[in-house]
Amino acid sequence: MKYIKIILAIGAGIILSSFAQAQTLNWANLTKDDRHIINLNLGYDYAASFGAAYGYQLKAPVPIVLDAQFSMPAGENLFDDFKSKAGAQVRIFEWKSFCFSAEAQGIFRRYENPYARLLNFGSEFSGTIGYYRPSWFVAGQAGFDKAIVTHFKNSELYEDNYPGEQNGWYQPATGGNFFYGLQGGYSLRQISFYLKAGQVIEQDFKSSPMIPFYAQLGVNWKL
Amino acid sequence: MKTTKLLFPALILWLMASGCQKELLINDDGNLVPKTVEQDSTLPSISVNGTLLHAESFGNPDSPMLVILHGGPGSDYRYLLNCKQFAENGYYVVFYDQRGSGLSKREPKESYAIQTMFDDLQQVIAHYRTSPEQKIILLGHSWGAMLATAYINEHPAEITGAILCEPGGFMWQDIIDYVNRTRSFSAFSETLNDATYPDQFITGNENEQAVLDYKYSLLAYADGAADSPLGNEGVLPFWRYGAIVNGALFDLGQKEQPDWTTHLSQYTTKVLFCYSERNEAYGLAHAQKVSSAYPNVDLELIKDAGHDMITFPDGWNNFFPLAIDYLNSL
Repeated sequence: MKYIKIILAIGAGIILSSFAQAQTLNWANLTKDDRHIINLNLGYDYAASFGAAYGYQLKAPVPIVLDAQFSMPAGENLFDDFKSKAGAQVRIFEWKSFCFSAEAQGIFRRYENPYARLLNFGSEFSGTIGYYRPSWFVAGQAGFDKAIVTHFKNSELYEDNYPGEQNGWYQPATGGNFFYGLQGGYSLRQISFYLKAGQVIEQDFKSSPMIPFYAQLGVNWKL
Repeated sequence: MKTTKLLFPALILWLMASGCQKELLINDDGNLVPKTVEQDSTLPSISVNGTLLHAESFGNPDSPMLVILHGGPGSDYRYLLNCKQFAENGYYVVFYDQRGSGLSKREPKESYAIQTMFDDLQQVIAHYRTSPEQKIILLGHSWGAMLATAYINEHPAEITGAILCEPGGFMWQDIIDYVNRTRSFSAFSETLNDATYPDQFITGNENEQAVLDYKYSLLAYADGAADSPLGNEGVLPFWRYGAIVNGALFDLGQKEQPDWTTHLSQYTTKVLFCYSERNEAYGLAHAQKVSSAYPNVDLELIKDAGHDMITFPDGWNNFFPLAIDYLNSL
């Protein structure tokens, strides 16, 4: 029952905010009148991957951008693996050109190989602090990505090896990774280019993913 | 708007229905990977060197003993079961899943030592041996061939002969060079992404071995993928991949940089050394380099085969006659 609630909460969160997304923003370049932000990106996110995102800035006393993104790894079977995120980022604090912002996102992701298909609901929380000027910025980011609940469906090929396997939703949380790194960008009036990169480490603080880093090159276009 | 109104309750219903399924515990015995001999007493096992190993023997116990050593580290002997055929040809064939591998008992990571793997082999031999005069022959594949060589290097007088199939190397640098070649996938390939992408779905600490074993088994497909340099016809059958033993022995190798050739010059018995036609990461040059540590080598190419030459029919049909001729010559 506990997991039904978690699934419902995350699912509802994703649906309600699926028109929004977390992008790497230059807060000093974002005016109150900017509403729509389109993003395209590529890089390494547990695999060579590429994605797109859409952001919508709310009319609010502090800058709040709702966002939604979709990414998938490269490979012959494009849609067998993907990650979708939806959430919001808020500029919480500003002093001179320094800003601190926080992001919270719900995640739905899928993985499939010839042995198994995994569906996962998760969440990602991060904070970013940096120095922002209208034409450029540099910042540091740290966060945590939690794989909260995962559905395992093993293939016939896997069942040939182990007929007794059990398909279904598994608990407790099947995974979690911390990430931290740097980001920087160059902004024109409507377009910003950015690069971010950093380290990924598993929640036990001992192990690392096979690709122990993330990197993303992206472009934001304000409509 | 009407569609959106319908979609939302439909999704909620689906989520509720999914959520009402029995929730499974990821580290419970037998959920995602098979139970080990510690958890299922009906499995054949032997107790040696302070652990419980999944083990079986076939043939007349008084015949020359052929000990089958699987690869990995962390694989199991299921993919080598073709070797039961040696029992029909006058050999006492002994299979065992190495410590922490396959259906053998899991052990904590900090308990592993490379020497322990040699000691386990010594005690497996002692367990099955029926007389001091009984001939002992080792047949090792990949890591198993490295283990066989390390054992011969330590106990050259105890082993009557050896069949070695594509050991990565007997010195650490050779091993690393070979392993790196086996992992040469394109950064944009499905095979590589299938190996790396699950890292965001499944993590586990060293005490959560079942989930780590399952995750490791998902990677096993890469060895049989069409773009793998190993050249296999397909994927290998397996019981359970031991993620912890694999990681532990690899870490120990990095730390200790072993050289298992220091006493091989004393081993003048002929060794049958096989390499496959299709394994692009191996090849004649590497086979010559690695096998040259032995003073007396019969180096044989197994045609129509990849790295797992013993598992698939074409490789086995070309390997078996060579192996029988060699065994009968001892």
